[in-house]
Amino acid sequence: MKKNFEKFKQALYGNTQFKVGLVMLAILLFIALFAGVLSPYDPYKLSEDLLVSPSSSHPLGTDNLGRDLLSMLFYGAKVSLLVGTISALIAAVIGTLLGGVAGFFGGKVDMIFGGFINIFMMMPTFFLILIVVALFGSGMLKVMIVIGLTSWVGNAKLMRAQALSIKERTYIKSAESIGESKLKILFRHIIPNGIFPIIANTTMGVASAILTESSLAFLGLGDPNIISWGQIIQNGKSYLLTGWWICVFAGLAIIYTVITFYLLGDGINRILSPKLRSR
Amino acid sequence: MKSYLGKRIVTAVLCVFLALLFNFIIIHAAPGNPIRILAGTDSVNEEMIAELTQKYGLDQPAYIQFFRYVGNLFKGDMGVSIYTGQPVADEIISKLGPTLLLCLTSSIIALILGTLLGIFCARHVGSALDSFLGSISYLFDSTPSFWLGLMLILVFASTLHLFPTAGMFNVRQNAEGFARVVDVLYHLVLPSTALSLTLIPYYFRIARTSVIQVGNEDFITTLRGAGMREDRIYRKYVFRNAILPVVTVFGIQLAYIVSGSAIVEIVFSWPGMGSYMMTAISRRDYPTLMGIYLVISISVAVMMIVVDVVYTYLDPRISRSEGK
Amino acid sequence: MAILSLRDVSVTYRSSGKEVHAINNISLDVEENESLGIVGESGSGKTTLIMAVLRLLNTKTTDVTGEALLKGEDIFQMTPERLSEIRWTEMAIVFQKALNALSPVHTVGRFIGDIYRVHKPEATKEEIRSVVEETFELVNLPKRIFKLYPHELSGGMLQRVSIAMSLILDPSLLIMDEATTALDVVTQNQILEEIKRLEEQKGITRIMITHDMSVVASSCKKVAVLYAGSLMESGPTEKVLVEPIHPYTQGLVESFPTFKTDTHEPLKSIPGSLPDLANLPAGCVFAPRCPKASDICFNSKPEMKDYPGNRKAACFFAGGSNNE
Repeated sequence: MKKNFEKFKQALYGNTQFKVGLVMLAILLFIALFAGVLSPYDPYKLSEDLLVSPSSSHPLGTDNLGRDLLSMLFYGAKVSLLVGTISALIAAVIGTLLGGVAGFFGGKVDMIFGGFINIFMMMPTFFLILIVVALFGSGMLKVMIVIGLTSWVGNAKLMRAQALSIKERTYIKSAESIGESKLKILFRHIIPNGIFPIIANTTMGVASAILTESSLAFLGLGDPNIISWGQIIQNGKSYLLTGWWICVFAGLAIIYTVITFYLLGDGINRILSPKLRSR
Repeated sequence: MKSYLGKRIVTAVLCVFLALLFNFIIIHAAPGNPIRILAGTDSVNEEMIAELTQKYGLDQPAYIQFFRYVGNLFKGDMGVSIYTGQPVADEIISKLGPTLLLCLTSSIIALILGTLLGIFCARHVGSALDSFLGSISYLFDSTPSFWLGLMLILVFASTLHLFPTAGMFNVRQNAEGFARVVDVLYHLVLPSTALSLTLIPYYFRIARTSVIQVGNEDFITTLRGAGMREDRIYRKYVFRNAILPVVTVFGIQLAYIVSGSAIVEIVFSWPGMGSYMMTAISRRDYPTLMGIYLVISISVAVMMIVVDVVYTYLDPRISRSEGK
Repeated sequence: MAILSLRDVSVTYRSSGKEVHAINNISLDVEENESLGIVGESGSGKTTLIMAVLRLLNTKTTDVTGEALLKGEDIFQMTPERLSEIRWTEMAIVFQKALNALSPVHTVGRFIGDIYRVHKPEATKEEIRSVVEETFELVNLPKRIFKLYPHELSGGMLQRVSIAMSLILDPSLLIMDEATTALDVVTQNQILEEIKRLEEQKGITRIMITHDMSVVASSCKKVAVLYAGSLMESGPTEKVLVEPIHPYTQGLVESFPTFKTDTHEPLKSIPGSLPDLANLPAGCVFAPRCPKASDICFNSKPEMKDYPGNRKAACFFAGGSNNE
């Protein structure tokens, strides 16, 4: 397991996609962490300078309420990263547990859990998120939880397949024969050894959670008390002609972030498929 | 085949039922009374609210409401919109047309373009165009569809004035016959472009990977070794084998057709299910929400069966009596 | 005249800046009706050699030099049209994994029929069917499998289908790449017997690629021993396998149980592993593992030399005596 991980780490550093993604992520994290210091203005502060086009005083212009767009984007990075990561982690935990249990225990348990996974797969997720957020309120925490609760299916399927194959290996059989408890085997051996594809999928999951969050905010279902990129676009779409920069730059920020996580996830995936799997 | 199909249909019906129940629970657990929203905030008349609540059966226990709803479904009755008072079924049917038009056009364009580009790149792996298209597909995959829509409006409608910004036809002209068809197509260009562009990367990648994989199979080497021309090998054998995953993606995508275009519809004020759904959500129009959800679940369930059945004909390895 | 003569054939793979010398200056003659076995460990370049002869290697990543004369005509210099013509009519191949040698979504008959049609474009459906069915009979397959898919056949049947496929156009040269390795011993022997019978019946010359010495012993008149892309020894099977003169062949024979049943010596294996093909030693490729190696072996490459009994070997100490 540890050797596995070392090899995996080395392969990652040799992967261009992953390296580019890592650099992009570092920049993003830097911005999100130091948004307060980096921002030239307070993004919540309204001013008289309405819809000022990009200039030296406002590098990316201002919005219809006179807020500085660059500062808003910096603060939005925080929200996007937070929502993306936490939602994806929730999905990873649920998916790993459900899939692991279904695959490892097999039989009737698999029939019930597997059936549940299949039924959930048929749910129109985005519509479900819309209804829940619209009816139960759209605080940031709720948005994260709802996205996490609705996007675990992929992880569950991956983990189930992993558990099915890992449980046939000899060291699991020997662990069973010396009387280790089922749960212990699941958490000590099955999940740690089958987690790599989940890591790749979860990294991709961050990207899609960020897209989902921005869509919700764009539909006016975001948290009204915070600044998020989707919300900036929702607000800016009425000023598409007089203030094109609002939508354009906020959209580019989303694309940058989403690409970052796609690159990371795809990089991990590429390394996983040819090398680690063949061993 | 028959017993297999029967089993699939039973499962599908069960799935739809469970999905519906799930949705019902969520809607009914939500805070807020739709009648109050209907009545408005000012001049709340408690008696009127009580009367309306009774009229829509909202005073009954939840499980009775649910079974009454399901019972009515079997009679073809999807209930009445709390807000407009119109039968939900009629409203959905009127909104379904524009959505199907938009989605089918975009899906088919994406299927054809994405697959062709994918095949091209698979046959020229490593070429400049291959890596260029690969990067572009990444880019469009990371682009939110609503933003893409807004950018198309900004460039092609607001700035260049080539296409209309919103709607499905010109209300003022109200053209008829052939002119009407042209008008609708004219309005269709931008929304379907936005939707296709977000779908093309899927087909591109699937087709590319699949063609590369099949191209490396031993039986392709056999055919080459037997002197068959490359063109013929690709036309008759590679594509026939590589098409399977593309069909799956197309089927899954069609399954979510009813809800898939919602955001693009809203950006372009396209009068379809997406806009309808958003209105229903903001009005907490329970029967309408349930109706939309039902239509979506049924379309998903039906398409999944269709994909499976098509698959059994395309791939002889899948036995028709056992399913997957 | 030799049906196939290789002259100084070398194959180099280029991958990520490295040059891998998979085949080095191999010269070899295959006489008509003298079935030849090419043996070697996995990684010795057996498959690469025949893929090069068949011109099935990727031209973008491999360089092939030398000559491969098929009835006096150099395969490497053939135009694509000429190459298509001689493929399968002059030389055909049977691959190791028979299941992968057929398209999974086409029936067996359709696939083989299509190969037949490449060279007989004017043939009618009925003709094709009867030719394919006749060939099935040759290898003891029932006619009915014409309409079956590959996944519906057993491993032994698939291997027979592969062989039938290779015989469909009466090639003069038949190459079998580990074609019986995946089968159980009984089926393997049956098929080998059938092949020998067919060879005599139809005048086919066979090249058998395998790591299994017993297959060579029971079915080939001549044998060539390959190590790390270089030829070590060649000659009549009964001589080479009983009294090998090259130290590598000696090691190979000693590590194989079938030939040493009369002695009570324990089986030996050759210590060490294959050299790095990207970084070949200056002298003999086998020297690092050779029990008889001396300075000369590490500094200069031994040439293939003739020995009595129509044998050849590339070793300074061939036959145990110092010939230098």
